[in-house]
Amino acid sequence: MSESQGEGAEPAVRPWIRPDGQAKATGQAHYTADLAFSGLAHARLLLAGRVHARIIRIDTARARAMPGVLAILTQDDVPERRYGSFDFVLDRTLFARDVVRFEGEVVAAVAALTPDQAAAAVAAIEVDYADLPPVLDVEAALQPGSPLVHDAIATYAHDLNLDPAGNLAGRSTIVKGDAAGAIAAAPIVVSERYVADMAHPVPIEPHTVTAEWSGDRVTIQSSTQVPFYARTKTAEVLEIPEHRIRVAVSHLGGGFGGKCDFHFEGHVAALARAARRPVRLVLSRREEFLAPDKVTHAMVVDIETGLNEDGTILARRARLILDCGAYASDTPILGQVASMMIAGPYRIPHVDIEALSVYTNRTPSGSVRAPTGPQACWAVEQHHDVLAARVGLDPVEFRRRNLVRDGDEGPTRQRHEGNGAVETLERAVAAILAGGPLGPHEAIGVASGWWFSAPGPSGAFVRIEGDGSGRIVTGAQENGTGAVMALPILAAEELGMRPEDFAITYQDTDAGPYDGGSSGSQTTFNNGRAVVEAAREVRRQLLELAAVALEASVADLELRDGHAGVVGSPDRRISIAELAATAHGGALLLARGSGMPPEAPEHDASMCVGRLGFESFAAPTFFCHAARIRVDPATGIVRTLKVVAATDVGRVLNETGALGQMTGGVVMALGNATTEGTVFGADGRQRNASLLDYKLLTSADAPEIEAIFVEFPASNGGPRGSKGVGEPPIVATAGAVANAIAAATGARVRRLPMTPERVWRAVRTGDDGAAEANAPFGPVPIGAAAGG
Amino acid sequence: MPELLQLTVDGVALSAAIEPDRTLLRVLRDDLGRTGTKEGCDDSECGACMVLIDGRPVNSCSYLALQAAGCEVTTVEGLAGVEALHPLQRAFLEGGGIQCGFCTPGMLISAVALLARDPDPSEDAIRDGLAGNLCRCTGYQPIVRAVQRAAAEMRGETA
Repeated sequence: MSESQGEGAEPAVRPWIRPDGQAKATGQAHYTADLAFSGLAHARLLLAGRVHARIIRIDTARARAMPGVLAILTQDDVPERRYGSFDFVLDRTLFARDVVRFEGEVVAAVAALTPDQAAAAVAAIEVDYADLPPVLDVEAALQPGSPLVHDAIATYAHDLNLDPAGNLAGRSTIVKGDAAGAIAAAPIVVSERYVADMAHPVPIEPHTVTAEWSGDRVTIQSSTQVPFYARTKTAEVLEIPEHRIRVAVSHLGGGFGGKCDFHFEGHVAALARAARRPVRLVLSRREEFLAPDKVTHAMVVDIETGLNEDGTILARRARLILDCGAYASDTPILGQVASMMIAGPYRIPHVDIEALSVYTNRTPSGSVRAPTGPQACWAVEQHHDVLAARVGLDPVEFRRRNLVRDGDEGPTRQRHEGNGAVETLERAVAAILAGGPLGPHEAIGVASGWWFSAPGPSGAFVRIEGDGSGRIVTGAQENGTGAVMALPILAAEELGMRPEDFAITYQDTDAGPYDGGSSGSQTTFNNGRAVVEAAREVRRQLLELAAVALEASVADLELRDGHAGVVGSPDRRISIAELAATAHGGALLLARGSGMPPEAPEHDASMCVGRLGFESFAAPTFFCHAARIRVDPATGIVRTLKVVAATDVGRVLNETGALGQMTGGVVMALGNATTEGTVFGADGRQRNASLLDYKLLTSADAPEIEAIFVEFPASNGGPRGSKGVGEPPIVATAGAVANAIAAATGARVRRLPMTPERVWRAVRTGDDGAAEANAPFGPVPIGAAAGG
Repeated sequence: MPELLQLTVDGVALSAAIEPDRTLLRVLRDDLGRTGTKEGCDDSECGACMVLIDGRPVNSCSYLALQAAGCEVTTVEGLAGVEALHPLQRAFLEGGGIQCGFCTPGMLISAVALLARDPDPSEDAIRDGLAGNLCRCTGYQPIVRAVQRAAAEMRGETA
């Protein structure tokens, strides 16, 4: 079912001030590094500093004897447990065991009385290495005879949908129909290669973890986006039950996916136990680039599309190679996501897309904001402009003809309901054209895309205190977006109260019920559902009390303006505060909510392999970004003048919050697209692991951003048909800018990021960058890759 | 050898015996309990540690504490009165200028310094004035708008 914009009698969006805002504006908000402890000790990690080597000897004796040193740990001091993200491939240990596989790998950890003493002790740990041949190229890694990142991979436990072997951590396919046959029969076939470099999430707060034991229980304060997952993994690697571990987050200084997964909680908890003191670890900015092993995937995209003369897409084949780095992390499932993104929100009758997750000796990749989305969308949306040009169509008209509409079929035959794919295109284009005639070297580019919502389990409690004020207790994690801060809006609507009537207890595994954390744009989608369910139960309790007090039937009562009242009789009402006082002499106003997550849309994945859960996109968000840019042909510098981000988010629940995701996502995307990207030395180590050399956009670089919301509520969506909003805004900007560069210069840049050097070279020499060093040796025919 | 540092922080005269190689950021956070000022990079690149020294914005991570001897240091914690927020703080709050909040202390300090030297800045001047402060959440636009609103209010115009 679909609705068009503006339908439905929903409450008007009101100005919104985030409940944690005043503390943040005044410097009173404590982040993890601001927390005070008596007797605090300071941790420091010994990182490998080389990308692939066998550890011959570790000698900590001299370091242990140094002043102030309380504890030094290596893998010998913790349980010999191999673990992996979501148990996809159990390929790693807490500390390096015998081999280091990337430069940020943790070899040892020290706790000392002062940070300087800890640093001195780390420097005094003696490690002898025998270097091993580094695996740095994903295609070479797939060739027979390549050195292996994990020579014992055959012994690793893994998800039964995966078949890790050699340097291949996982292989998956998204298949529908007969793509090979349709392409053979197609009048026009275009094949291209696009290559993306690794990039970083770069939260401004570096990773910080503290741990403090009390008897056999440990409290871990962590800058994590996923407290419950961090607790699960800490329990696993230290072999203690989860109920003895509390993971709490004070305030989180941004994450962008870089603080998803399990990072240093296990190391610090073990250190604090050994040191018999609270211990704090704060990563330096350099360490933040090297060690947290959550970076944007370097990716090689080979894509081939069969086309009719009228611009109708007939079939698509593609092979994607994701550089998962030294450990599989969650890359195998993200290969599926990347494949869905390469299919895109387009009508394509025949699809055959293969994704290979390949080990290298680089920092492990993972779920950075819309993982694989920006790179995949950048590649496929440039490909679409190339296809449009091939048949002489305007890029907008090409998309108009092929974007999905109500009733169309997705890449695995999921049935699309009415959605904003076409409307976001039309509105983004109209808005960018309203900016007036183009100046010299200026051009406009567009890119369309989609992104999934992530149904999952989540819980919340809602209660009304004796004075009639409310409290939400949730396991959800606030990473800065405001998703948790906006939960009172949902509870208030159910209870006829104001959002500011509610306090929130959050991001503490001892307090709230389980939640999947700040990942997958899932907080409002899932925890919103939980809060609404709990609030509805409190509503029922309030109405029962009111029915007695007002001598009325529950069916005749409503909650509004802080009162329960008889519909149509304005003077027969009682305040929620009075009802709460009554309840506090009897049965309390107290409820839980969880609710079943919406199911994935019906689809047919029978031809797909490596199925880990993303064979369809649940309640997808649709969007189109239009960018106006100016290229300096003398320098290759691209100045983005304006970006219009038109997004179908299902339903806007909090306009301030949604706008903030759009403006922030676009600028992060522009940084990824033009100024960021990791540079590697020949030794495989990062060359620009600092903010001096790894350039984020500043306020002076950022363009004007216009956000347009289109509302097509999803029948299987979150509260009121809403869809995920945190990740989508980062997906399409790079593609729009790339298409604008091509329109302005006639040259296509097929390497991400599109740095001035690359743009300049493309304009001057026609070299599109796809074969640049660090890139693959050369094309391998699609479908001929090793593995599987 | 520790040396005696005397300075004023957010209106309060303070003293501490510190090693001469310690930065103002570390002394503020570790010795004086002023944790509102953040460390994001220790490299003068992110601006999260920005404070005013006698009204001048400085990255306190790259400034020796002893250089601030005898100076008036203003941190984010000194901007608000007991009852009322600074107009910039209120504008950030009301305009969506705060998300994760980690850049906010430094961003506010830069904005205070900007409006002190230019009470009616153009949008470009605001963007240049805040270019030393990295924000990964907001895309800067809500912050720029907030500075515009606060500037108008501080000039006595209707915000």
